Amino acid sequence: MFAIARSELIQMFRNRLVLVTSFIMPVAVSAFFIYRHEAFATIGSLGYIAAIVMFTVGAFGLYTTAVTTLASRRQNLFLKRLRSTAADDRSILGGLLLPVTVLSVVQITAILTVFGAVSGKPGSIALLAPAAVAIVAMMVGLALATAGLTNSPEHAQVTTLPVSLGVIAVASWVGISGTEELTLLKRLLPGGAATEMVVDAWNGSASVILLAPTLAWVVVAVALAARLFRWEPRR
Amino acid sequence: MSTPVIEVEKLNLKYGDFHAVKDLSFEVRPGELYALLGTNGAGKTSALETIEGHREPTSGTVRVFGHSPRDRKAVRPRMGIMLQESGFSPDLTVGESVRLIGQLTGRTDDVGRVLDVVGLTRKAGTLVSQLSGGEKRRLDFATAVYGTPELIFLDEPTTGLDIQSRDALWESVDRLRENGSTIVLTTHYLEEAQQRADRIGLMHQGVFRRQGTVGDLTRALPSHIRFAFPDGPALPLPSSADGNTVVIETFELQKDLHLLLGWAQDNGVELRDLSAGPTSLDDVFRSIEA
Repeated sequence: MFAIARSELIQMFRNRLVLVTSFIMPVAVSAFFIYRHEAFATIGSLGYIAAIVMFTVGAFGLYTTAVTTLASRRQNLFLKRLRSTAADDRSILGGLLLPVTVLSVVQITAILTVFGAVSGKPGSIALLAPAAVAIVAMMVGLALATAGLTNSPEHAQVTTLPVSLGVIAVASWVGISGTEELTLLKRLLPGGAATEMVVDAWNGSASVILLAPTLAWVVVAVALAARLFRWEPRR
Repeated sequence: MSTPVIEVEKLNLKYGDFHAVKDLSFEVRPGELYALLGTNGAGKTSALETIEGHREPTSGTVRVFGHSPRDRKAVRPRMGIMLQESGFSPDLTVGESVRLIGQLTGRTDDVGRVLDVVGLTRKAGTLVSQLSGGEKRRLDFATAVYGTPELIFLDEPTTGLDIQSRDALWESVDRLRENGSTIVLTTHYLEEAQQRADRIGLMHQGVFRRQGTVGDLTRALPSHIRFAFPDGPALPLPSSADGNTVVIETFELQKDLHLLLGWAQDNGVELRDLSAGPTSLDDVFRSIEA
């Protein structure tokens, strides 16, 4: 797995387009939110900014890059090549997704550290961390499922839009309007409960139960991926 | 007799309604070079990919070294696979690609040695995206022979190679065979199979139409004697015409050729453009499509 991850990291840094979309773009968006945090805090709260940072990195950095990478490795038969070796499927997928996942976790941590330094410490880091992990796991699962429906890296520009825009929309809606109305719907939407948990944890303290819907989405995404994921291009 | 390296029994492979491989049974013995040949769409790549472990059979069994080929941990360290299509990442160098894939096979070898075998030493630092088609085939061959496996699959290994590279590749294969490696080959260059295969399985529309040594296959069809249409008395043997060329088909080449040459000598007839020889695999191929 680590041999594949290492080669994946090399490829990521050689391919500037991937580096820009997966690394620079989410940082730029997050920097803007932190720079104007007082304005955004009046719309929602400081916790809302933390949630938007997590979902921007998760949707545009992690999710989109993972789908594009998997589609590209399948299209040029690199997946088939890896499966011609003794490596099993889990370690192949693990190796391919490990670098982008670690990079996203590092990004989220770094951006939120800067945000905390600028706007004041979050209420509960112990609750923010599991929320962030759940979001990352959900986005990886959704990426595996979406990759099954994506024929090429170009096609990924279209196929990733519903999920990436969808979770950002949910995070904004829940982050700005709260969950006092339409509570159940907001919590069951992908990213809804996670947003509520991040907002609450940043602003003070949150309920651990809010992890459940996000973890349920991880299970749904992995089940979908098991049905949809393909290793070789369609002929 | 030693246990077979590959055992295929009543293998069937279906894609939806399309029956790609039907009731295929054969064995490959240790040290053999077995050529799986066939017309386009005959099912040989489907069969080969099932034996390699890339596909699951619809029915029937495939055993490689006594294991299911889907059991990668058990079989892959002992076998090298040269795929029909490249499958390398364009953003990795030649050296990085060999190191990665080689390491994942579970075998050990020296990347420099392997690159030297395929003549890519000077390209070690070149990105795969900058290689020519022939160089990519050689890179593919390099990953297949990394660690000198006991069994090597070569799926159209010489397609796109120039004649020097082709000779070099076959020389490497000869050396691997001296070390006892078993080779399974598919190729469109029938001459290669005719010269090198110990046994041949000839597929057409998903089934074996012929199987055996080159001799077994070619002896089933008559040999040919050809020469330009001569002036003079009637020929001593039944013949047919192919344009201005006389064609004599025979299962007794030596006897009939002797008769013909004697007849030409006695009658003072010159047989211009004379050629005589056993049937080639090409003819065997044409006969199964007919």
